[in-house]
Amino acid sequence: MNAVTYARRNMFRRRGRTILTMIVVALAVLIFCGIRTLILSFNVGVDQAAADRIGTRHKVSITMQLPRRYIDDLRAVPGVTKATWANWFGAKDPKQRVPFFAGIAVDQDSYFDVATEIQVPPYQLAAWKQTRNGAILGDQLAAKFGVKPGDRLVIDSDIYPGDWEFTVSGIYTVTKKTADRSSLIFRWDYLNDDPRAVASKNTVGWMIERIDDSAHSADISQRIDAKFDSQDVQTKTMSEGAFQLEFLGGFIAVLSALGLGSIVILLIMALVLANTIGMNVRERTHEYGVLRAIGFSPRYVFGFIVGESLLVALVGGLLGVGLTYLLINGVLAPFLSANMSGPLATVHVSGGVFGLALGLAVALGAIAGAIPAFGASRLKTTDALRRVN
Amino acid sequence: MSETTTTSDAAPEPYRGTVTTPTIVKLSGIAKTFYRGNEPIKVLDGLDLDVPNGSFEALMGPSGSGKSTLLNIIAGLDRPTSGTVLVAGADLTRLSDGQLARWRSQTIGFVFQSFNLIPVLTAAENVELPLLLTSLSRADRVKHVATALRIVGLEDRMHHYPRQLSGGQEQRVAIARAIVNDPKIIVADEPTGDLDRKSADDVLLLMERLNKELHKTIFMVTHDPAAAERAGVQRKLDKGALQ
Repeated sequence: MNAVTYARRNMFRRRGRTILTMIVVALAVLIFCGIRTLILSFNVGVDQAAADRIGTRHKVSITMQLPRRYIDDLRAVPGVTKATWANWFGAKDPKQRVPFFAGIAVDQDSYFDVATEIQVPPYQLAAWKQTRNGAILGDQLAAKFGVKPGDRLVIDSDIYPGDWEFTVSGIYTVTKKTADRSSLIFRWDYLNDDPRAVASKNTVGWMIERIDDSAHSADISQRIDAKFDSQDVQTKTMSEGAFQLEFLGGFIAVLSALGLGSIVILLIMALVLANTIGMNVRERTHEYGVLRAIGFSPRYVFGFIVGESLLVALVGGLLGVGLTYLLINGVLAPFLSANMSGPLATVHVSGGVFGLALGLAVALGAIAGAIPAFGASRLKTTDALRRVN
Repeated sequence: MSETTTTSDAAPEPYRGTVTTPTIVKLSGIAKTFYRGNEPIKVLDGLDLDVPNGSFEALMGPSGSGKSTLLNIIAGLDRPTSGTVLVAGADLTRLSDGQLARWRSQTIGFVFQSFNLIPVLTAAENVELPLLLTSLSRADRVKHVATALRIVGLEDRMHHYPRQLSGGQEQRVAIARAIVNDPKIIVADEPTGDLDRKSADDVLLLMERLNKELHKTIFMVTHDPAAAERAGVQRKLDKGALQ
């Protein structure tokens, strides 16, 4: 027998209470891991952004348009090897088969030279360039719509009213797991020449540039913005990672709030644990008096209580890790990977997240136990012996 | 721990170079005052007491007479408001709380009225508890536990939990726990108070054996005249003073 035996046996003296507390710890670890993984998944997209690609938007906001004519000046900036442009279409499915997907009008001659992670079979790309209302769909989106090249597809827009008819010219796949597989890409001139888009005629939402040296991305960005400083519309150029963050926009605040929420959940777990250990200690005060009487110092009593709290947190934490592994890595991640694209397709709880969750649970368990342990260890032996359960 | 250890003729082992005395407990001018709010309650008042080494003494007295307070002071669980407490060569009033805890683990064996065994530990594990504070190896601890349980006649119950034992057996396990580290003094607070007559006799017989055969000094607080008769010396405490 040793002190750990005593702590371990104590742990299950109130079996129901301990098991419920462990479940709380396990759920807290599960939620913490889920939230941290979601946040990390969105960061993966930013982290894996191409270093040799930069983006240019209106200086005020990405919701404001740039003149298309800027593209020629932009291509002339030293360091820029290729440049293209795109326009947000605000696509939506009139039959509501797909709740949300991206619709982008792009320059058919240059877009796929810059967005190289998007792969379209050459013959489909050639057909698309020849088809004014041609659309290229991500493989996931095409599967959801149940369409194939040659099919007709009608799409609505939040921005440009009425039905927009497309002919499916191709299906694209991606070379990067973080790239979106649910976009509808069509020709910019089809949008630009339509009377419904007269308000944004000859303008673009953003431009994307490929540069010759990723180490000079900041310098090149400055050069681009300087070029348009004296023009009627000024620009803001930034790395692709920063550009993606801007695209996420308000969602970043949601992610930050979720991050804070994950910490709050662990703190609630610590309070539940402290309450459980506190109840245990109150019930066993007399027993701690006996231990003190037979020679155990306050330090031992403190250690017994904190040890018990640590064990509950550790076992609950390990349960949570197992549960997380089973539910997220075992069930959710394969489902998301098969059915979603972009950040959600990369959801996978890493060893680092597991370690962080378990470490925090155990550390908070120690702190939660330390509060009642301090009180119990400070109690006079004779007072403790007088306490009756 | 050894069954054949004799301590009756030997001088108590000095503790931290303090006084060596032929009496194992020497209290001089002990006063203890508690406070209920601002109101002082004098429980012990200038009490003197000498307990010879190897004696078996019973302390009787009405409720509230200060018996348990006196026992706690002798056992190093409580400190007097004034006076000196010399026990087994140590001046307890000069020891810190940590030193007192260590002193108790080496010098005192406790027997409580309600046994106070840890319910989640087996009889053997309960007896082993005080040995966790020593540097004994696990094998040595197991030997000491077996010896202590053999002395109290519960060798065959070592793997039983307290709930699986009768009250008398529980108290005998508690006595095994009290003697397992070979203490100089056993202090017992109403050791038969929760037992039927038969179990109480068994426990008292065991305490007599510990006193006569192992020469343990026993200081017992009791309300039970039959229990007090088993002790060599009977003392009465009333209104904070020995009669």
